[in-house]
Amino acid sequence: MENKFDVSVILPIKSALAKNFDEYFQKAIESLNNQRVKIDELVIVHTGEETLVNFLNNFNFGELTVNKYLWDKTPNYCDQVNMGLTNAKNQWVSLFEFDDEYSAIWFKNVKQYVEAHPNVEMFLPVVVETDEKGIFAGFTNEATFAANFSQEMGFLTNDTLQNYQNFQTAGSVFKKSIIDDFGGFKSSVKLTFIYEFLLRLSYNSVVIMTIPKLGYKHTNLREGSLFWNYKNGEDKMTEDEVKFWIQTAKKEYFFTDDRVIKYEPENK
Amino acid sequence: MENANKERVQKSIDNLKQRQSRLYFFVQDTKGNAKASIRFTYQMAYELKKSGFNPIMIHEKKDYTGVKSWLGEDYMNELEHRPIEGQNLEISPEDFLIIPEIFGYVMDQVKHLPCAKIVLTQQYSNMLETLQPGQSWTQFGFYKCITTTEVQKEYIEKVFRQVSFDIVKPFISETFQPKKTPPMPIIAVHSREQEDTINLIKTFYLRFPQYRWFTFRDMRGLSEKEFSNSLRECFLSVWIDDKSGFGTFPLESMASGVPVIGKIPNLAPEWMNEDNGIWVTDLTSMSEYVADFAQNWLEDNIKPELYESMKKTVEQYNNKQIFTENVVNLFDGYLSYRATTLEEQLSKIED
Repeated sequence: MENKFDVSVILPIKSALAKNFDEYFQKAIESLNNQRVKIDELVIVHTGEETLVNFLNNFNFGELTVNKYLWDKTPNYCDQVNMGLTNAKNQWVSLFEFDDEYSAIWFKNVKQYVEAHPNVEMFLPVVVETDEKGIFAGFTNEATFAANFSQEMGFLTNDTLQNYQNFQTAGSVFKKSIIDDFGGFKSSVKLTFIYEFLLRLSYNSVVIMTIPKLGYKHTNLREGSLFWNYKNGEDKMTEDEVKFWIQTAKKEYFFTDDRVIKYEPENK
Repeated sequence: MENANKERVQKSIDNLKQRQSRLYFFVQDTKGNAKASIRFTYQMAYELKKSGFNPIMIHEKKDYTGVKSWLGEDYMNELEHRPIEGQNLEISPEDFLIIPEIFGYVMDQVKHLPCAKIVLTQQYSNMLETLQPGQSWTQFGFYKCITTTEVQKEYIEKVFRQVSFDIVKPFISETFQPKKTPPMPIIAVHSREQEDTINLIKTFYLRFPQYRWFTFRDMRGLSEKEFSNSLRECFLSVWIDDKSGFGTFPLESMASGVPVIGKIPNLAPEWMNEDNGIWVTDLTSMSEYVADFAQNWLEDNIKPELYESMKKTVEQYNNKQIFTENVVNLFDGYLSYRATTLEEQLSKIED
């Protein structure tokens, strides 16, 4: 068996000015270099921020094949991911974040599961959630295995998602073709764009499975991160707005296109 | 009269030599529940039947549930079954009665029958249960015992000193095979006492709430097919049975590619070694061992040597041909010995 898995890892980056960026980034890339099976390419979609561009140009990526793409519009996680997906060379793609780490066994396991479950089009890792100090906070995506949770153990269905939203696409590996068929992330959906994406895929019968292995370490609510901002930062949301975006995800997943959506507070 | 006697004995000898003596295997009605000891008895009888012997399964009641639902219909169709209730068994001197160790009262009832009698002891801890203090198998005419392991034999022969012993190692059937797809986060549990299973599950979830998504599967009450299918989905088996005489469940787990954490029984099985499983003495720490194994499994940190060693261990027990040869040779030996004894009787009559 060839010691390689043909996957494009998509890494969107907004800024190198984030707290401890260098340290996080170093570990993230190290985790790719430490894979037990080699990956094909790392696709970085970065903004034009000067510090970031200089950093990336001078960074030693080791043996990785790195393809960089400049995102010259307003920084946006969803759009940057979609750009990366468009430019990915491989049939399989994976989503990555600079403050996270893959476990060394992840792509080895994905390769094994792709062979064992040829009907599955998206694999989720069991994600180890940590705080900024690296202290364990819990798992994500593991719920597909919980008793009486999903119709078939390990598989994520639309029915399950209707009742439980806490799933994570970071670290996931999926077929690029599902994006061509059902669309990518919707940047007009705030907060719940991952949820909407999973609802949409499962609604369109994409088979999603969690691999019962610790595949990914995710730094939860890092200061300055997208979701930290929704919770604590300048984009802080009210409870009402959170509910709105959850409802929006449940309405929008029937549509492949990203439609313009705006939140209007009720008491405005 | 003498001639009639001679003819009868000669007929018995002929039946023995032609493997036509009746081998009565007494079986308990498990009411449709799978039981390793009953399976073993049926496997022996089935292999004997296929080799031209004349085994007959006997059971207490007429409404015997049978083993079709959990062991398969071949065992019910191919083997003759007879109830004891309401009829006298045809018994001739060349016949054999094979009675499980727990049925001391049955041994008492059949003590005057003129046939050969054998105790089948798979569970040493049951052997005194229905005997009165001071009673021995030999009082009922049982001088031979078939057991399943050397360690059981050593233990039993200390208690029943006048009995001779033979060992037939159980056979792990080919239905126990590893699954082609990777296992799920499911833990198979098999304990003699149900409270051990319940305690383990409750303790585990309380002590390790982060693993509440792991499923425990109590393996009791499943058919052979359900049992083997369920087992091969698991990534780990837990085995708690202090009184185990052989340890079928851990071997079935190993055959299914599932590592075992087991509490070492009072009589440690001879197949058990430090490489082929995680064998522990402290039941109170079982949930910790399980959590530790689960963490390592999630991280792909289980050593391949463990799986290799499991495979090697199972190879000693999954060769059907060897099992059949052992059983056939053993019963050929019994029949031949019995024939010699009867020939001696015949020559005395002739003298």
